[in-house]
Amino acid sequence: MGTGMRAIVVGVTFGMLLTLVGCKPAAPSGPAADARPKVALIMKSLANDFFATMAEGAQQHQATHAADYELLVSGIKNETDIGEQVNLVEQAVAQGARAIIVAPADSKALVPALRRAQSQGVLIVNIDNRLDADVVRQAGLQAAFVGPDNRDGARRVGEALAAQLKAGDEVAIIEGVTTTFNGQQRRAGFEDAMKAAGASIVAIQSGEWEMDKANSVAANLLSSHPKLRALLCANDNMALGAAAAVAAAGKSKGVMVVGFDNIAAIKSLLADGRLVASADQHADRLAVEGIELALASLKSGQPGADRATPVDVVTR
Amino acid sequence: MFGLKRGSAADLLVLLAVWAGLLLLFGQLSAGFLSPATLGSVANRIPALLLVATGMTLLMVTGGIDLSVGSLVGFCGTVVGVVMVDWGWTLPAAVACSIAVGLLLGSVSGLVSVKLRLPSFIVTLGMLEVARGLAFLAAHSRTKYIGDTIESLGTPIAGLVVSPAFLCALLAVALGQALLSYTVLGRQLVAVGANIEAARISGIAVDRPRIAAHALLGALTGVAAVFNCSRLGSADPNAGVGFELSVIAAVVVGGTSLLGGRGSVAKSFLGVLIVATLEAGLVQAGASEPLKRVVTGVVIVVAVLADTWRRRD
Repeated sequence: MGTGMRAIVVGVTFGMLLTLVGCKPAAPSGPAADARPKVALIMKSLANDFFATMAEGAQQHQATHAADYELLVSGIKNETDIGEQVNLVEQAVAQGARAIIVAPADSKALVPALRRAQSQGVLIVNIDNRLDADVVRQAGLQAAFVGPDNRDGARRVGEALAAQLKAGDEVAIIEGVTTTFNGQQRRAGFEDAMKAAGASIVAIQSGEWEMDKANSVAANLLSSHPKLRALLCANDNMALGAAAAVAAAGKSKGVMVVGFDNIAAIKSLLADGRLVASADQHADRLAVEGIELALASLKSGQPGADRATPVDVVTR
Repeated sequence: MFGLKRGSAADLLVLLAVWAGLLLLFGQLSAGFLSPATLGSVANRIPALLLVATGMTLLMVTGGIDLSVGSLVGFCGTVVGVVMVDWGWTLPAAVACSIAVGLLLGSVSGLVSVKLRLPSFIVTLGMLEVARGLAFLAAHSRTKYIGDTIESLGTPIAGLVVSPAFLCALLAVALGQALLSYTVLGRQLVAVGANIEAARISGIAVDRPRIAAHALLGALTGVAAVFNCSRLGSADPNAGVGFELSVIAAVVVGGTSLLGGRGSVAKSFLGVLIVATLEAGLVQAGASEPLKRVVTGVVIVVAVLADTWRRRD
């Protein structure tokens, strides 16, 4: 009875696994299928709309170029799960990916894993969050960077906000995961703009890119700095959390919020003024440009050059 | 006694069968899963998990638990980074510091929870926050790149698919199981977890084995932190977020009771293999991140459920 029950449970679990994974048969083994290079897109948290949009862009591109390459898409649970992202890199290599397009969750800690992949002949393209230049040089990694100038983008978002501030106004910055280069750049860009406008930055705290965390950070900032005029958030997820905290504190009139990424979820907030500005880095194009660079490099055998992608400030 | 041993062997076989089943299943789902490259990647990913699962099993046998191991991996790793990068010390010195810090914080958790009679769940929940905060303070919220010196520990040995870290973790599993099965301390751990009053009456100084289990887990976590750094080539203060849950999941899949008195390091080893294989397999089969989490969660509950039913019958 006991073993029978165990066998049933195990059987049911496997059955469920099969169903959930979609009963995908082993990859078709025609010569055409084998000729297409596998390209792995490894992103950060897919709970973040920004990366979901990025994934969609890549999938659409693959659908229209189905003959050119096979796409493997993956992401991690939360933005600090670096071990898992290293694991995804290793799995992509084990699956025989010819190129890895990566949006690293940490600008330094991903470098060794990427270098190991490169030493096995995999082409690396770095998108979105730039790997640390010193570490890349030390490790001897070759990776073209495709992405925006985050500092400049954040500075321009800050300027859009500064137009509604006066000198001496108190503002606070909610930064991203402090170990990421793009997070550091956006914080620096916000600081540039606020200094230029003569605003006083009374606090800089991390919301770790996540809505929840930013919400509690913002709530605390609002109560500890009653004269606060604006919250500058390094991504829109955190801006959503901050805007909710502002509303909960009954300060929608007095405190302005800006974000970064222009995710779909902020449209209505921009429209009614709960969010003053954000920056569109064209997430859908970001991955596609990375993939195109990788495909061109695979064809030519030459590592591609860095490509700057546009950042547009969006307001209402 | 004989019956217990036979049941124990049967449990091992069941877990082995589940693991083999997963390998076959994913072999079917994705071509190339059953390759040395994949199996090697699984083996080289789990050393930290194996070490901490070994210590966690010994602690959970006593009825205790430690939720701070993920933060400790982050903090001890940061210590490794500071010692090697900022102070320029050698790797062995960094390993010693990491183990010392792990041992110290593990002992603090143990002493506070046992001597002040607080649930270890609460004490280590506090330690989870303390150690993570210390990690960020020590690292100034920045990742430190260490480089080749530490990476070699996690890189496969030439000619072998596995890394020195994996071999070291295997050794720890073997020693942990030997400690549990063949030493006085091991017997005391089980006795204290099964019935602490009975253990006290039979003359065991019940505090000692419980504190020792906390301290040992701390020290093993210190080693795990070094291996985690070797995988990243860096010390990241964010490392190990949520790690405690993976460890506890692997240990309970291996049949160790949350209530204490029963557990096996060898079975926790298989629990780790099952969880790691499941994760790797789901990635390679192209499952999406949300789906991976759903499947992993269901498998954990089903595994424990099956184990409970077996025992009840």
